[in-house]
Amino acid sequence: MRIVSGGVTDVGRVRTNNEDCFRIVAPLNLFVLADGMGGEAHGEIASALAVETVMKHCLDAETNPAARVLGKVEPNWSANTKRLSTAVHLANRSIFKSAQEHMEQHGMGATLTAAWIDGTKLSIAHVGDSRAYLLRGGNLLQLTRDHSLVAEQVRRGILTIAEAEESEMQSVLLRALGAQPEIEVDAEEHTLFPRDVLLLCSDGLTRVVTEPEIAGVLQAEPDPVRGAEELVALANERGGPDNITVVVVRLLKDSKGWFSWLRRGERKNLGANGNAGGN
Amino acid sequence: MPKLSLMFDNKIVKEVSVGSRPVTIGRAPDNDLPVDNLAVSNYHAKVYYEAGRMVIEDLNSLNGTFVNDLRIERSTLHDGDNVHIGKHTIKVDTSGDAPLPWQTGRKAAAPRINETMVLDTKERRQMLQQAAAMGESMQFASTRMKVPTLVVLGGKSDQKEYVLTNKLTVIGKSAMATIRLKGWFKPQMAAQINQRDDGYYLGPGDKVPTVNGTPIPGPVRLNNGDMIEVSGVKLNFIFRE
Repeated sequence: MRIVSGGVTDVGRVRTNNEDCFRIVAPLNLFVLADGMGGEAHGEIASALAVETVMKHCLDAETNPAARVLGKVEPNWSANTKRLSTAVHLANRSIFKSAQEHMEQHGMGATLTAAWIDGTKLSIAHVGDSRAYLLRGGNLLQLTRDHSLVAEQVRRGILTIAEAEESEMQSVLLRALGAQPEIEVDAEEHTLFPRDVLLLCSDGLTRVVTEPEIAGVLQAEPDPVRGAEELVALANERGGPDNITVVVVRLLKDSKGWFSWLRRGERKNLGANGNAGGN
Repeated sequence: MPKLSLMFDNKIVKEVSVGSRPVTIGRAPDNDLPVDNLAVSNYHAKVYYEAGRMVIEDLNSLNGTFVNDLRIERSTLHDGDNVHIGKHTIKVDTSGDAPLPWQTGRKAAAPRINETMVLDTKERRQMLQQAAAMGESMQFASTRMKVPTLVVLGGKSDQKEYVLTNKLTVIGKSAMATIRLKGWFKPQMAAQINQRDDGYYLGPGDKVPTVNGTPIPGPVRLNNGDMIEVSGVKLNFIFRE
């Protein structure tokens, strides 16, 4: 499958600094998004540290394939899923350590949602309330569970989804990177199909834009960067109360078949490795 | 409050009011105004307030959105306008007050904790215990502890029973499907089940499955005991003890 991706991050309309951070590692098909928290500039430090640590550990996979696996892993997971989950544990440690060493950074933390695609296999690792979605067959499927108090209450049947959306406790997280020396990481594997669209986003999007609207935009806009820009613009129209980060990854059918010569014109518009945009 | 009335054969099928949240229109049942007709796209159009005016926007639907017989991509709506989607008509009523903008409406409802914060373990345990106690008194928590299971009642599959452990369960012929269908003409991905916070949702893949005999064009929440039929396979969704 061919992969095209793009991402946008925006400060929003209320905040003065952007504590979100994302990175697309195109050669690896690795996508990492983090939303930082903590006073002054420390949220930015935490989210950047989280993204860098995950990226580095995954990039090291080639040179150091035998690195120790951390945390709870399923024996049937692929090497990538184990590596990605380990990377999130390492990110937690580095944020926690940095906060311990620097008094002023105390209380900083970050959410993290990472996706790694290898052929048709998608590995997801996740902590916090950023989200990963898959748009498939017109349906938006949520691949992550929010580690927030209200989401936990919904899972236990105490709140309805509607009550959770109105709750003033929405910002209370039960799990985040950097809060404790060791954490639990959610990791899972999925199989991708051609025409799937993967979306990673921070809560700045999902708090104000509804899922049918997200599905509508992703369906209507074939360009990943423009799709991400449209979603950010929509969140800003609703007041942009928080930083907004959106990463869109589209899986396209390989045009190696009988009719590929007919489509050759279309491929020229893409970058060197079939990726458009991103930083 | 301004409202939209969905009409078919000059009869009102459904009415929704347009508040500070946008109203989505489409064939999928999770739309605010679902329109059950094959000419209507899953997420067809949406209506919302912008700068005090009601606006309709087509979501790149296949068969288009028409305002007073004119095909539009985006258009302001006025009182008495007729919107045509497929064979249905939506009557526009803009009388009454325009809703407050999204942000102010929400702010007035509840003072929010704006900064994200993490509960440390002690506070977290206390809060969850309180929550669990509340849940028990409401007799909800007990059903949560059961294991969601699909029991195969008919058709060819690789197992007789499946426990849903992943957030995404694919039903199809694909080698990577959780519930693998056998047979020459079975679709790679017939349908899928998504685990969400409030339960398990079945949605279509290459085929439209039925739940208790009713076809479902978009995701629906599964209830204990539901009968699912897709691509010649009959499945019973139950929560096991």
